[in-house]
Amino acid sequence: MGVSTSTVLAINGVRKTFANNVALDETSLELTAGSFTSLVGPSGCGKSTLFNVISGLLRPDTGSIALGDRDITNSTGHVGYMLQKDLLVPWRTVLGNITLAAALTRKVTAQDRREAEQNARRYGLGEFLHHYPGALSGGMRQRVALMRTLATNQSLLLLDEPFGALDSQTRLDMQQWLLQIWADLKKTVIFVTHDVDEAIFLSDRVIVMSPRPGRVVADIVVDLPRPRTLETLTDPAFVDFKREVLRLLHRSSS
Amino acid sequence: MTRGEGTELSALRRWRLVGALVLWSVTSLVVFVAAWQAVIAIFHPAPYVIPTPHDTYFAVTHNWSSIWPLAVGTFRETLYGFAAGAVLGFFLAVAMYKVRIFRSLSYPFIIASQAIPIIAIAPILVLVIGFNIYPTIIIVAWIVFFPVTINTLDGFLNLDADLLNLTRVLGARRWRRFWFVELPGTVTPLFSGLKIGAAYAVTGAIIGEQADSSGSSLFQYQFAANNSSRTDLVYGLTIVMMAIGLLWFVLIVGLDHLATPWKHRPTSRRWRDRGRTTSTPSLRNE
Repeated sequence: MGVSTSTVLAINGVRKTFANNVALDETSLELTAGSFTSLVGPSGCGKSTLFNVISGLLRPDTGSIALGDRDITNSTGHVGYMLQKDLLVPWRTVLGNITLAAALTRKVTAQDRREAEQNARRYGLGEFLHHYPGALSGGMRQRVALMRTLATNQSLLLLDEPFGALDSQTRLDMQQWLLQIWADLKKTVIFVTHDVDEAIFLSDRVIVMSPRPGRVVADIVVDLPRPRTLETLTDPAFVDFKREVLRLLHRSSS
Repeated sequence: MTRGEGTELSALRRWRLVGALVLWSVTSLVVFVAAWQAVIAIFHPAPYVIPTPHDTYFAVTHNWSSIWPLAVGTFRETLYGFAAGAVLGFFLAVAMYKVRIFRSLSYPFIIASQAIPIIAIAPILVLVIGFNIYPTIIIVAWIVFFPVTINTLDGFLNLDADLLNLTRVLGARRWRRFWFVELPGTVTPLFSGLKIGAAYAVTGAIIGEQADSSGSSLFQYQFAANNSSRTDLVYGLTIVMMAIGLLWFVLIVGLDHLATPWKHRPTSRRWRDRGRTTSTPSLRNE
């Protein structure tokens, strides 16, 4: 986007091994504030490991993670994290799930509820505020999960294949919905996906990774104009990017 | 977007479920009595071996004024014992979940506690504690706590690891996580344990009543009926005991239903969610 060039997240030489497997070889990345970056690569390329290190769930063997000017290596509670599994708790309503982070750290205030409600209404969940997750479709559940992630008020969002389990129609809707939110709220997003179209459509930058050991093989700037629409998907420039990413993926896996 | 069509439909479905439950209960009762009657019609047993359902029914109704207070007494024993056992069982499970060393240490004792034949130690309990209600309460609690502890602990240990990781990422405080995620996530296995406990509670109470030979209790009344060869009354009292166990089971099932509204309702109906917001009323249930 080029709005800001300040680095918000710096991954410095992070490496992680499990037993004798190098899950993630030494990796360094810098993300600018408000950017949308996708990680693509086959299973075992270390995407989820990298996410778990950034979120503080996993301790890296070497390296460090800096958010702004704070070192957040090995510490949790600094980023918004969302998985393919929506992980909504069935006993709380949509509003209750959105305010879960608040409930887990302190008393939920009227302000929290008001904000949750405003965001939910604004982004298409207004009719379902008091529904239990069990009564919602897969797409709606993922919307609630993203709202819960946003409610933590973190500037950095880690989205690990959030739309991976949705049908392609719903997935397209969700991608546009996500871009809308991202543009409105000026968050920095790292997005993991297997879907090359999805990665290019959403991102400013696509990072291609390869397995055994997991590492970065390419870093591609996607300068397609925004806002992106359905036409973007058939734009010749889009197809060029797609060809390039597919070539890199195929080369690295063979 | 919602599953399960509209809200009116789901209300209708709920009543259909209740109706089906009543229908099946009545049907089982009819089948039971018919089978009983058939055994008598085919084998012609002496009335002091197997009385007819008719005689059994009237043996109970004629002596109802004596039976009712004794049944209430047995219910009270199961109530106190069940409550004590459930609370003990639950807190034991929490402690075993939270403190790993305590889990390893206590597990063998908890299993061993159920290997003791309760019938054998009931007289000892009466000797130590005295001829009162307490030995019976202890026996009931002793039987009830076990399934509650085992089921609840299994529930805690099988919570979704990803969900627990998510609470860490969200910066959850330990006891808040317990209260808002771990505990509600264990409600279903907790109630499974309570249901098993409910079914066994009456057995425990009757063992206690047997040991407390001085008191007037449902068991002692049955014992006297047996000594006077009133087989119809013995059968009838057995059915009364069974009915107390069934009542407990139904109570727990009802409590489970109330405690887990998300399993059978599309929306919440807590008072604070009403009125406070202006969400589309057409989509709300009731």
